This record gives sequence, structure tokens and C-alpha cells, in this order.
Amino acid sequence: MPPQIFRLVLLTLAIVVTYFIARQLLTPATFRQYGFYRGEALAEHASHTPVYAGRKACLECHEEIQTQLFKGEHKTIGCESCHGPSSAHVADPDSAKNLPDKRNTLACARCHEANPSRPATQKQINVKTHYSGEKCVECHVPHQPNEVP
Amino acid sequence: MALEITNIVVETLPRFEGYVYPNESGTHPLWGFLIVLYPYITGLVAGAFIMASLVRVFHVKPLQPIYRLSLLTALAFLLCATLPLLFHLGHPERSFQIMITPHLTSPMAIFGFVYAWYLMAVLLLELWFDYREDFVVWSQTTPGIRGIIYRAFTLGVTDTSEKAVALDLKMGWIISIVGIPSAFLLHGYVGFIFGSIKANPWWGNVLMPIIFILSAMVSGIALCVFNYMILTWVRRRKLDMRCLDVMGMFLFYALVIDATVEALDWIHRAYSAEEGFHVMEYMAQEKLFYTLSIGQALVGTVIPLLLLGALQLARKYVSEAMRKRMYFACAAFILIGVFAMRWNVVMGGQFFSKSLRGVMSYKLEFAGAEGWFMGLILLSLPFIILTVLIKLFLSERLPTSGHIPHRAEITTTEI
Amino acid sequence: MKNSVSRRSMLATLGGAVAALMSSSAARTAKAAVQKVFVSTSAPKGYDPYKHKWLMCFDVDKCIGCGLCVDACKTENHVPQGPTYFRNWIERYIIKKPKPGSGETRGEVVVDSPNGGRDGFTTTPIPREEILKSFFVPKLCNLCEHSPCTQVCPVGATFDSPDGVVLVDPKYCIGCGFCIQACPYGCRFLNPETKTAEKCTLCYHRITRGLKPACVEVCPTEARIFGDLKNPVENDPIQAFISKNKLHTLKPHLGTNPRVMYANMDKEVR
Repeated sequence: MPPQIFRLVLLTLAIVVTYFIARQLLTPATFRQYGFYRGEALAEHASHTPVYAGRKACLECHEEIQTQLFKGEHKTIGCESCHGPSSAHVADPDSAKNLPDKRNTLACARCHEANPSRPATQKQINVKTHYSGEKCVECHVPHQPNEVP
Repeated sequence: MALEITNIVVETLPRFEGYVYPNESGTHPLWGFLIVLYPYITGLVAGAFIMASLVRVFHVKPLQPIYRLSLLTALAFLLCATLPLLFHLGHPERSFQIMITPHLTSPMAIFGFVYAWYLMAVLLLELWFDYREDFVVWSQTTPGIRGIIYRAFTLGVTDTSEKAVALDLKMGWIISIVGIPSAFLLHGYVGFIFGSIKANPWWGNVLMPIIFILSAMVSGIALCVFNYMILTWVRRRKLDMRCLDVMGMFLFYALVIDATVEALDWIHRAYSAEEGFHVMEYMAQEKLFYTLSIGQALVGTVIPLLLLGALQLARKYVSEAMRKRMYFACAAFILIGVFAMRWNVVMGGQFFSKSLRGVMSYKLEFAGAEGWFMGLILLSLPFIILTVLIKLFLSERLPTSGHIPHRAEITTTEI
Repeated sequence: MKNSVSRRSMLATLGGAVAALMSSSAARTAKAAVQKVFVSTSAPKGYDPYKHKWLMCFDVDKCIGCGLCVDACKTENHVPQGPTYFRNWIERYIIKKPKPGSGETRGEVVVDSPNGGRDGFTTTPIPREEILKSFFVPKLCNLCEHSPCTQVCPVGATFDSPDGVVLVDPKYCIGCGFCIQACPYGCRFLNPETKTAEKCTLCYHRITRGLKPACVEVCPTEARIFGDLKNPVENDPIQAFISKNKLHTLKPHLGTNPRVMYANMDKEVR
């Protein structure tokens, strides 16, 4: 074999072998476990801590609210929609800190403020003119909106 | 001054018009100046290499004087090609993953391999075969560090017999032939990256890789003209006018083909007027006015076409001095125009919202890893490297073997 | 003769080494294939991604644009607070009345998404009397069957999980941004803190624990319908949704096969 070619073949082989060794050493261990990705990533995604507890967790202790809710139109609303993320409270229910909000007028207006883009099936009021100055809870029971307090 | 330029080219307020997806409405584009620079650089590499292969494969004898210069130009720019990408990545320290676990459905994944192939198996190898005989001679006659460099490059092979040199010529020819599709792949895949994005109508069309390759040819030839004229002027030597005229001819015809295909793209878009076209039109006329109508179309295409076309028709009536000025001006205009083209593709695609209802107005920073300043540094780096390469490998003080880089038994093509 | 023998044997050894290297990666894959169920301590143990197929759908007629979902998502997933980083968002479409006597079916269409809809839509830019119709459209990752984002990822950092969710591996992502450019629905963004691509994960950490995604949890009107196609529950909302409604997907002509479906969608929505 002519000397130039021989040297080049050697060099090429050296590069190729180095590449395959590097590939073997540097590919993450769980790669290709489920597909062309690091299999561990799936477990890593699943291991974040939830911030919202979920309605089921609330109703474990607050069963009487469930009965109220199911009678009225607010039965589709999750507890944390109005009361905010509460997994800290679920983890330590007796503690005075991390108590969920008891919401105010702004919470009601968020869904019930009149808006031309809202479907007609949604009950809407103009907050400024609908008994302005009064709190919503004077006339409405949030957990059972068809009742009066 | 730079801020004023920024403000002319890119509006700062408001950030968007019409409706854009919230994730698109940021201040800065995702792919910035550096991603405009990368296809520009690889395009120059591919074009300069095609210039060299015109000599070696197509036996265009008048272009001989620029053979080695084009290869060294290609090398200087190729060495810098990865830098814009590295600077742009969110995690450049993980960039090796592209070679370790390349996802073969992604055009970007082939980058590592195509780049390595082109650098090592095409460009360096062709240079080596062309220079090998000279390396042996220079390593024996040059003292000091330069002698050591030359000796290293011989790879320990010192055979300069006729048989070995004939083999060098043959191998160089084979590699040149392999190099032409490789050059198309090196730059074409970048065009394909944009052309394959069906989500964005500005990018996702069939002509994109073709337009990229054609404008790369044009920019590469223009760069060779530019470098040749500057180098000759620095060395205070006489320009080979025949070489320059032939380069100008190739530049003209390449530009004609490139302009035709780009015009076809526009005509087709305007004619079929698919959804979102009126937004594209608005964007082209307002946001991209300076870079598209002035930069790419007028300065980069129309003026060089007129000048070079005039020279093709009436060369003998134009004096040598005038021709030199025209070629230099055209080369500079084309280099600016092709850069503007890359800008229009990359930035235009990001100005255009995927909601098909709006345009963004991004701002480009001056400082920072993705800013203008870094871009300008990266653009000047290849020229610095080229200077070093010329001093090492194209020095007038070193004797060259004098063999012409094509097979001696084939008659050369006279133009 | 001696030279060629030793050269031959050297090449053979090299070839053998390369073959061994290439086959050992296959052996490693086979070993990892045994472990397809989560076993790490903080992920829900025993969850088998092959036994589930998650889906989210929307009823456009029920969305009231309160924005609680956008807020909940940002809280649940610690998404950067800025107005250009959203894993999900709400779009408002306002279709104006056509000019009288113009012979058109509709006037100008105004679309907006102020801060992604996170604070609700407290102001309406068009007076009520000019509006023909108006509605809200929630958006997020469309859970494409042929996701263009996973197709273009150069390193395998974004992927389709076996249970139908498209995820990004933030430890492997190099931040090139190709997937963000390739998503036709604009659901991805580059997280400025981690410098990796980010998107809706369907609250993977919640659904693997039997909880609902945060956005579904807080939606007050059941505009978001979520379920497991492989394990339908009694009165499964997804099954009811599919059987009762005429359905629509976004940008079907692109061939991404988005699995997220919309009921009662208007032709103006992209």
C-alpha cells in the first residue's frame, strides 16, 4: 500500500475507534429504555411535588361542603379554583399557617363579570352596578349559589 | 451609531402587531444574529470549495491562480463555522450529545457528522494531497517552528517520487469529485433545516435548500474574487485579469440562476397567495424593507447583475482599471446581499407569527453572547485565520512544486 | 510476509474491538428494557407508562375566559412569571359585525391574549354593539401523534412518552430551539432560567399519581375534559365528549395528527 494511503487509513481508524469508545462511555445509562431518550427523564418528570392538592383531598375532611356543592350550579368548580393551591394545608391540616383563602368579591367577579365573549349559559353581572358597595356573600352562598345566606 | 442602525432595521415598539402566540411575543428572537451568521459562513465555505473544484474537476485553467486560495478560504471559514452555533446554544457544554446520541430524524443531528466529514475527509484531505509534496520540501528547507509545522503535516511520509506525486494528483481529483456533493450537503442541510419547518410558511417550502445552495455558490465565488483582489493588492502584485474575468463570468451566471430561483419563490408565493400571505406581504414591505428590497434585491442582486452583465456583453470596451473596480464592487455588494438574504430568511421567519395573524418586532442587542458585537467578531475571525494560513501555506517566499492540480494527460478546457 | 501478517492481525483486532463496542450498546438496551416501571423513590412507584394513554379535550362553548387555568399552571409548574412564557394560555376571538350592506358574513376578527389570559379578560377592546360573536379558546400542547417537535430534536431531549404525553428532558436539552420553531401551535418556549425548551407536560407528576392536571382541577365550567383512554372510568368525560360532539383539531393540514380535540370550534381559530 502506498505510504500516504496507509498513514491515512491508520488515522481514520484511530478517529473512528475513538468515536465509538466515546459514544459508549458518554451515552446515558437509561437511553433507549422506552425510546430515543433518557428513560430516567420520565421518572424525573413524575417525581415533581404537586402544588394543588385536588378536590378529592379537600373533601376527605370537608365532606359537608361536598353535599352543599352538589346541590347547586357550583358543583363543577374545584375547591382550589377559589381557595388557591392547598397541598401544604392538606399535608398539615391542623397547622394555622398555610390555611387556604376565604375569597372575596374579586374572586366572584373573575368568573361572573359581564363579558361579551362569555357564553350566555354563564350567569353574568356588571359588578359596578349590581348592588355596588355590597359584598357578594351578603346575598349569595358561594358553595350553594341558589340559596340565600 | 450601532443603536441607530438597530433602530432603523428593527422596530423597538410596539413588540408586535396583529395577534401573535404569547410565547412568540418576547423582546428578542430565539434565533438571532449568530444563526444568521452560521448559514452565511457555511455558504461561503461551500462556494469557495466549488470555485476550487472548477479548477480540479472541470479543468477551468484560467482559474488556476486562485485554486489554493479558494481552498484555504474554505478552510479558514469552516474552522469558524461551529462557533456561532456553540455561542447560541442554551447549553454549549452539552453540544457533544449531538454526536453521541444523534437523533437521525433531525436535520440538525447530521451537523456533527457532515461537518466532521467535510472538514477531515474532504477539505483537509484535498489540501493535504495538494500540498504534500510541498510540505516535504518545505520541511527540509524551512528552519524553526515553521519547519516543524510542515514536518508534522507530512504525517511522516517523505516520498516525493513521481509515482507518489501522480497518486497525490489522482487522490486529489477523486476527493474533489466527492467534495462537490459533500459541499452541497454541508450547506444544503441548513437550507433543509428551514425548509422542513412546516409550522412556519416563510421557511417551510421545497425551494429553501436549493436557494440556500445557489446563494452559497454566489457568495463563495464573490468571496474568492474579494480575497484574491485584496491579497494581490496587499502584496502589490499584478492581478491575473484573465482569472478575474473568468471568475466574474462564473459569478454572473451563478447569480442569474440564483436570482431566477429566488424570484420563482416570490412569484409562486404571491400567485398562490396562501393563508397568511397578506401578513407576509406586510412584513416584507414594512419590517424587512431595508434588508429585503434594498439589501438583498437592489444591492445584492440587481446592481451586480447589471454590472456583471454589462461586462459579459461589452468586456473589451471596458478598461482594466474600470473592470477591477466593477468586480470588486460587485463582490462586495453580493457579499452584503447574501448576508441580507440570510437575515431575511432567519429573522423574517421569526417576525412572522405562526398564528398567521401578526408580526413581531424583535430587538437585537449589541452586547452579549448573541449580540451584534459578538457577530462582528465571529465574522472577522475567519479573515484573521485566513491571514495566518496564507502566511504559512501561500507564502511567496516558499517555492511551490509547480504541478498543476489536475491530471496532466487531459487537455484543459479553454474559455 | 511477516509485516503483512502482523498488519492483518492488527486490523482484525481493531475490527473485533469495534464490533464488541457496537454490540455492547445493544446488550445494555436489552437489560434496561426489563425495567419499564418506575422504581425511583420520588416517582410514583409501579406506574407503568404503557398502561395509560392520556388526553385533554376542550369544549369552546363552555370556556368563560376566567384564566384560572393559566394561573394554576404557572403556580403548579413554577413557570417563569414573564408575559412571554406560557405552558397554556387562553385566546379571545372577537368577530365584529359586517358593515351593513356590504354582503359579507362577518367583519374584522380581533384576536388577543393579554398576559396569556392569566388575569382574565377584564377589558374588551370592542364595544358590545359591534360584536357579532366572541368566544375564548384555551390552548396548550396538542399531543401530536406525529409531533414535529420530537422529529426535529437533534439529541433526543424531547420525546413522546408511551402514555401519550410529549415531554422535554431538561437535563439533556441543549437549548438549540429547533423544537420551539417546529411546533405549529406555539406551545413551546425557551425557559430563560434553565435555558432549555419547556412546554405543557400535562402535569405528568400529577396524572401519574391519579390527580388531574392543575388546569383541569381549577376550571370552573368543565371546559377542559381530561381522561385516560386506556382506563375509562364510569361516565368517563372523554368518552362522553367524543361520542356527543362534532370535533375539530388545530391545523390538521400539517399532518401532525394532534390528539387534542375541540368541540364547537369556529373557523377563525388557528
